Formats: sequence, C-alpha cells, structure tokens
Amino acid sequence: MAKKTYDLLFKLLLIGDSGVGKTCILFRFSDDAFTTTFISTIGIDFKIKTIELRGKKIKLQIWDTAGQERFHTITTSYYRGAMGIMLVYDINNEKSFENIVKWLRNIDEHANEDVEKMILGNKCDMDDKRTVSKERGETIAREHSIRFMETSAKANINIERAFRELAEAILDKTAGREPGGDGNMDRVLVDKKPMTNTTKSCCNN
Amino acid sequence: MPDCSVNYESEIEDGQNKRAIKCKFCSSVILTPSSACFQNFEFDLPLITQTKNNDANPETEHTSLFWVVKDMFTFYNVGFSNAVGNTKFLTCADCEAGPIGYHDIPTKISYVALTRVSHGST
Repeated sequence: MAKKTYDLLFKLLLIGDSGVGKTCILFRFSDDAFTTTFISTIGIDFKIKTIELRGKKIKLQIWDTAGQERFHTITTSYYRGAMGIMLVYDINNEKSFENIVKWLRNIDEHANEDVEKMILGNKCDMDDKRTVSKERGETIAREHSIRFMETSAKANINIERAFRELAEAILDKTAGREPGGDGNMDRVLVDKKPMTNTTKSCCNN
Repeated sequence: MPDCSVNYESEIEDGQNKRAIKCKFCSSVILTPSSACFQNFEFDLPLITQTKNNDANPETEHTSLFWVVKDMFTFYNVGFSNAVGNTKFLTCADCEAGPIGYHDIPTKISYVALTRVSHGST
C-alpha cells in the first residue's frame, strides 16, 4: 500500500455568519428548479486539501461550520484540535463584519489559545456594493493582532492564498501534528520556533 | 477522455492507479499516481443529480470498479459528506461534485468509483 504522502497535517476551521462566501465559489455544483445534487442535500462535513510549503507536503483538513453558525452554538467540541481558524465576513454585509468580534470572543472562550487566526473580508466580486471598507477590516485585525486579507471567491485565487498564509503561520510556530497511524513514514519535523507576538502584517489583494 | 468503465485495465499498474485521479468536471486532483489499489465489487452509489423531493429514497446505480484508499489523508484533494448511516460520501474538494465514491466509517476505508472520475497526468 502507498506510503505516507505528506509531512504535516493541519486542522483548520472556517467560521463566520451564514452566507458570507460559501455560496460564491466558482464551479460549485448547484441545484436547479427540478433537480438537486445528492451532496447538497446531505451536506459536506470536511475537506482534505494538499498544499506545498517550503518543500513540505501539507495536508489541510478543513471544516466548515455548515449552518451551526446561525445559532451561534459553536462550542468546544467543534474547536477541538483546530490549529487554524479562518474568520470570514462579507464586505457587503455590515452585520457579518460586526459579528467578527463575537466570533473572536467565541474562539477565545472555546478554542485552544494558541490557535492561529486570520480574518477574511470576502467580497464575492461585488465591490460596488461594499459597505465595509478595507481599512475597517485592517483595523480590527490589527487590534487583535491577527492577519487580514480581502478575498474574491469568484476568482478563488486569494482564497487559496489565504489558506497558504494561514498554513505558513501554523508552520512557523509549530511542528504540526505528526502524521498519525502506523509505521515508517517519510516525515519531516520542523524545528519549533518561538512564537512571536508582533502584529502580523496584512496583505494586499 | 477514455471512459474508464470500458477501458479501465489500462489505468491499473501493479494493482494501483497508473495515472492521477481527477474530478471529471473541474480537473481537481483527487489522488496522485500509485496511491490507491484497484478492487472490483458491487456497490449502489447514489446518482450525482437527484429528482427533487426524493431525499428519503435517492436514486442509485450499480457501481463495481473502485480505487481503494486505506488512509483518508492519502487523498490529495477530497471532500467528505456528512454521515448517512455508516457511510460518508466522497466529493470533489473544489466543485463539490459527487458522490465520486464513499467512505466506510467502521473500517475507515474509502472507495473511489472509476466511472465517476477521470484519469490523467497531474
């Protein structure tokens, strides 16, 4: 059977109000008037994606809140084991931005304290309807010393970049979880670096 | 792209997938070459598209050619659906097309249907 094909495994969560961006992803299979896709009916639990960073193959296991966020019922069990969290708001939706603070509080209460966070202002390619300026996003990120990026789910390019940056931040501060399971595997352990507490610079788009 | 249900044998080398396994719709890489084993057995896999208001009784089709993956983290890119009984269904991680196969929760083994994916170079 195949040997282990990766070096590190990071568990990531996507959090934010409903409708802040999951609906805009290009290519997504969608329902029409008469048919529905089997998968959209039962819903997706998590995804596995592979990226390469500094010569290492990193598996990202990404959980989406899948509707629980509507009731703000996300608690400890959901956060367990998470190494990174993407906090997403919609730049066209003031309320989703205001709720970022609530989500941050929720994370503080329930998640591991050294979880790496990143705020994403998703715009779904509708800049003309923008109600939340980029500066406000940057400001809130700076106040909480976390990364910030504006993304366009339409092009789906910055989404990927955002994941890479979050993964890189996790890589910087931890060796990550060693690949689980059995036996001999090729793996690279990364030296632990002391965690720096400086405000991380945010990015352009 | 060749229909692998007709000519699947050329995709197998030493019992494994000779080429990369990709999404039929968006070409996202699901498995890299030589990372899954071939197995032949019957399973009724729900159709990708279902008629509305038929959630309780989804239409399925007989599927018999599978790529077997023992460790879920062997997948390059993949989505796992919520559980239906002892099964989670597999989807493309990018466009969410699926089921492209299923995951058996008790054994933790995943099966990708050859007819629901394409094969090519990475």
